[in-house]
Amino acid sequence: MSMQKNQIKFIFQRRLYILAIFILLMMFIVIVKFFYIQVIQHNYFEKKSNNNSIKVVSIPPARGLILDRNNRILAENKITHNIEIDPSKKNNIELIVEQLSPFVTITKRDIKQYHRILKNSYFSSTVPLKNDLSEQEAATFLANQYLFENIFLKTRLKRYYQHEENASHVVGYINRINKNDIKELTEKNRLSLYKGSDHIGKRGIEQFYEHLIHGVPGFEKIEVDAQGKVVRSIERQEPIHGQDLKLSIDIELQKIARNAFGDKKGALVAISPHNGEILAYISQPNFNPNLFVNGIDHKNWDLLNNNKSRPLLDRVIKGLYPPGSTLKPFVAIAGLENNLRVPPFQISDPGFFTMPNQSKTFRDWKRDGHGLVDMVKAIAVSCDTFFYGLGLELGVTKMNKTLYAYGFGRKTGVDILGERNGLLANEKWKKKKKKEKWFAGETVITAIGQGFTQVTPIQLANATAKIAIPNNRNYLSPHLLLNSNQLKQSNKVIYTPPPNKKSTMRYIKEGMEGVTQAGGTAAFLNNANYKIAAKTGTAQVFGLAGGEYIEEDLPAHLKDHALFIAYAPADKPELVVAIIVENGGNGGSTAGPIAKKIFDHHLLSNP
Amino acid sequence: MIKIHIFKDFFKSLDQTIIGCLIIILSTGLMALYSADQEWFNEFNAQLVNISIGLIALVFISKTSPKIIFFYVPFLYIIGIILLLWVKFFGFEVNGSQRWIDIGFMKFQPSELYKLVMPLMLAWFYQNNERAITYKVHVTAFIFMIIPFYFILIQPDLGTALMIAFSSVAIIFTAGLSKKIIAWSFIVISLSSPFIWKNLENYQQNRILSLFDPFKDALGAGYQTIQSLIALGSGGLIGKGWLNSSQTQLNFLPEATTDFIFAVYSEEFGFIGVLAILSIYIALLLRILFIVSKMQDTFSRLASLGLLVSLFAGVLVNLGMISGLLPIVGAPLPFFSYGGTSMVVSLVSIGIIMSLYNHKSLIAN
Repeated sequence: MSMQKNQIKFIFQRRLYILAIFILLMMFIVIVKFFYIQVIQHNYFEKKSNNNSIKVVSIPPARGLILDRNNRILAENKITHNIEIDPSKKNNIELIVEQLSPFVTITKRDIKQYHRILKNSYFSSTVPLKNDLSEQEAATFLANQYLFENIFLKTRLKRYYQHEENASHVVGYINRINKNDIKELTEKNRLSLYKGSDHIGKRGIEQFYEHLIHGVPGFEKIEVDAQGKVVRSIERQEPIHGQDLKLSIDIELQKIARNAFGDKKGALVAISPHNGEILAYISQPNFNPNLFVNGIDHKNWDLLNNNKSRPLLDRVIKGLYPPGSTLKPFVAIAGLENNLRVPPFQISDPGFFTMPNQSKTFRDWKRDGHGLVDMVKAIAVSCDTFFYGLGLELGVTKMNKTLYAYGFGRKTGVDILGERNGLLANEKWKKKKKKEKWFAGETVITAIGQGFTQVTPIQLANATAKIAIPNNRNYLSPHLLLNSNQLKQSNKVIYTPPPNKKSTMRYIKEGMEGVTQAGGTAAFLNNANYKIAAKTGTAQVFGLAGGEYIEEDLPAHLKDHALFIAYAPADKPELVVAIIVENGGNGGSTAGPIAKKIFDHHLLSNP
Repeated sequence: MIKIHIFKDFFKSLDQTIIGCLIIILSTGLMALYSADQEWFNEFNAQLVNISIGLIALVFISKTSPKIIFFYVPFLYIIGIILLLWVKFFGFEVNGSQRWIDIGFMKFQPSELYKLVMPLMLAWFYQNNERAITYKVHVTAFIFMIIPFYFILIQPDLGTALMIAFSSVAIIFTAGLSKKIIAWSFIVISLSSPFIWKNLENYQQNRILSLFDPFKDALGAGYQTIQSLIALGSGGLIGKGWLNSSQTQLNFLPEATTDFIFAVYSEEFGFIGVLAILSIYIALLLRILFIVSKMQDTFSRLASLGLLVSLFAGVLVNLGMISGLLPIVGAPLPFFSYGGTSMVVSLVSIGIIMSLYNHKSLIAN
C-alpha cells in the first residue's frame, strides 16, 4: 500500500521536474519571440505603426472654370457619382460585374474603359468602373455597399464642356494623367501639386493655363481605425482651387462663325485690333471635347484621328497655307516703305508681266488686264501684274523683312500650344532645303503670295490688325485670356512692327476699302451698314501645268483655298477677321459672306 | 503592539513570495489598464473592485481548511454544469459567443469558474480512488473533464476549453498514467487532428491559418494579430512610455483592456518592461511549483498542480496569442487582464493553493 503510494509520489516528483523544465522552456520561447518582435523587428513595426495611425489624404483642388467674355460658361465641373475599385487589391472584374448586376449594369464599354484607365493609372487610389451613376443607381449601390469590400461609391467633379464642338479647339480638354505627364510634371517640379488629381489639361486653354486653372491640393491628416474608417480629423488644409479663366472669346460669335462654315473645312480668327483679344477662333471640322474627359475610347479616337479632314488639327495655329493675294497689302507696305510705286505712280496692265530679260511671262488673273493701275487700285482689284513688277524690283529680302515685321514667318505667341512658324522663303532657305538656286521668277510669284511662303490663319489676322490700327501701342499679340494680371503670369512675347510712314497706311487702307466697293474683288459686300476693308485671296492647291483652272471640273480636294482678311468698320476698326476655307475656290465669294456674318453680329447686334 | 501581532498572525497564512509577486503583477496590470481604458476609467474602477474581491477571497480561502474545500468540490462541479447549461439556453452573447450569465448584480462567465473547479474535481476524484488508480479511474476522470469541455467549446470558447483540457490532462498524466498511454494519446491526437480541424468553426480555422501569415488577410482574421504585433514591435526595447501607446490610443488594438492588455503594456514599456514582468510571472509559477512539490496527499498535490497548470496555460496562451505564436483565442492574462471572473478565479486559485500548503500536515495526518 504505502509502497504504491511512495511510488506514485516518486513519479509525481519526477514529472514535476519535467513540468518545471516545460514552464521555463515555454516562457523562454515567449521571451525570445518578444525579443525578436520588439528589438530585432522594431524598425519595421515602428514604420507600420506610424502608417497605421495617421493617414494623409490629399484633397484635390477644384479646377477653375473657363468663361467667355460675357461670363458664359465654356468649361465647368459637374458632380458625378462613380463606382470605383481599389486596384491595389486583386480584383476579378467579371465576378464584380456579376455581383453588381442586381444594382448597377456595367456594360462592356465600361469594362474596356476600366482596363484602359487602369493601364494608365498612376495617381488615383481608385479606378472608376462606372461613371455618371443615376441618383437611383447610386442609392441602390450605397444600400448594398457592405457586400463589396473593395468597391466604393465616389463623388467626383467631372469636367463638362456644354458648348461641345463650338469652342473645342480654344478650350481644349482634360484627360487622365499618363506616364508622359508624370515625367513632364516631375521635370517642372510640379508633381506634388497633382496628389489626388486624376486629370490634366491636354489641349487648348486647358493645357496652356494648366498652372493657373489647376490649383493647389489641400490635405487632411486623419486617424483611421481597423477597417480604415476615419476616426477623426487631426489637421486639415483646404485646397486652393484653380483660378477661373475668363476668355476674350465670344461664344455667340463662335457659334455664328461655325454655322457660317457649315460643313466646309477651314479656319477663322476674329481679333480686336485695339488690344489683340481673340473673339472667335474656329478650326473646322471639329470634335466634342467631352469625349476625352475620361479617356477617349478606341472607336471614337479612330474616327477622329483617321479622318481625312483631320478634325483634331487646330488649323488656326497649325494650318499652313499659301497666303495668295491676301499677302499683297503687306507686300505693298514693303514697296511704299522702300519708296517704290508711291502714288500717283501708275502702270498700264496688259494682263501679263514679262521678265526684263524676256525669259518668262506671268499672267494676271484677269486675262485682259486692269488698264491703268496705281497702288490703291492694285490692292482693290488684286492686280497681279502690278505686284509682279514690284516684287521683282523690291527683291525677296526686303519683302520678307517687312513681312517678318508684320508677324509672318514666326509665332504670334498666342496662348495655345503648338503654334507653327509658317515660312518666309528666300535664297538661303531654298539652298538648304531644296539644294537649288533661287530664281528671279520665284521672287515675282512670292509677291502675289503664290511662292513658297506659308502662313497660318492667326498670322493673317494678327498682321491685318496692324493695318487696321497702325502703330497701336496698346496692341498685344493675339491672345485668348482676358484678365491682364493672369496674362502677365504667362510670359507672353509681344511683337510690334516698326512705325510706318503715315501715307503708307493711308494708301493700303484705301486699297483694302476699295475691295468691297464697285470694281473690287469683294464688291458684293458693299451693302453692309458699315464699311468693310478687306482683301481676298485664292491659294492654289494644285499646280496647273499650263492648263486652265476651271473650278467645276476639279475634284473638291484639289480646288483652290479661299482666303479672306478684313476689318470693319473701315474708318474706325473694331474687329479683324481672317478666314480660310479649304478648297473653297474663289476667296471673295466663299469666305466673304462668312466674314459679313461675323461683322454683322459683332457690330450690329452687340450694343 | 498587540494589534500589530494580531495583524501579523492574520496574514501568516499567506506566502510572502507569492503575495509579493502578485502585488507587482496586479499593480502593473492596473497601470496598463489605466492607459488602455478609454471609457473614463469605468473599467479601471471596476477592476479595483474585482481585485479587492479577489484578494479578500484569497485571504479567507487561504485560512479555510482544505477539508471544507474537499467537501464542496463535487457540488461546485455539478453547479458548474448547471450554469453552463444555463448559459447555453439563457446566456447572452458578446462578440458572437455565448459565455455570460447575468445574475442580477453582476455578470460572470461559468467557463472561467471551471479553471478552478476542474482541477479540484479531478484531484477529489483521484483522492477518493487513490488506493487503486486503474485505467478505469483515468477514463472516468477523462469523462469528468470532457463534459464541461464540450459545453465550453460550443459556446464557442476554444481558448478556455483548451486551457481546461490542458490542466486536466496534466493532472491525469501526473496522477500516474503510464508512459505508454501518454505516448499513445499523443499519437491518437495527432492522427485525429484533421478531423478536429474539420469540426472547427470557420472563424477558428481562419485564426489558425492567419497565424502562419497574418498579413495575408490583414483586415480579416489576421487583423488582431497584426495590430498586436505592431503594438509590440513599435514599442521596441524601452517602449513609448506610459500612456503613450498609439496603437491603443488610436483604437487599433481590439480588446485593449482584456485579452490584449499585455500588448498595450509591451508597447508602452518595451522589451525591458516585458522581461521584468515575465520574470515576476516565472518566479510566481516556480514558487507555486515548489509549493506543489511539498504537498503531502494526492488531493493537495493534484489540485495545486492543476491550478498551477491552469494559471500557466492562461499566461502561455495569452502571451503566445499576443506575440503571434498561437492563434487568437479568447484568453485573458491571469492577474493582468480586465475582467471580474478571471481576476477573482485566478486569485481564488492562489488562495486554495495557500490553503492546501498551510494545512499540508493537517491532511497528511
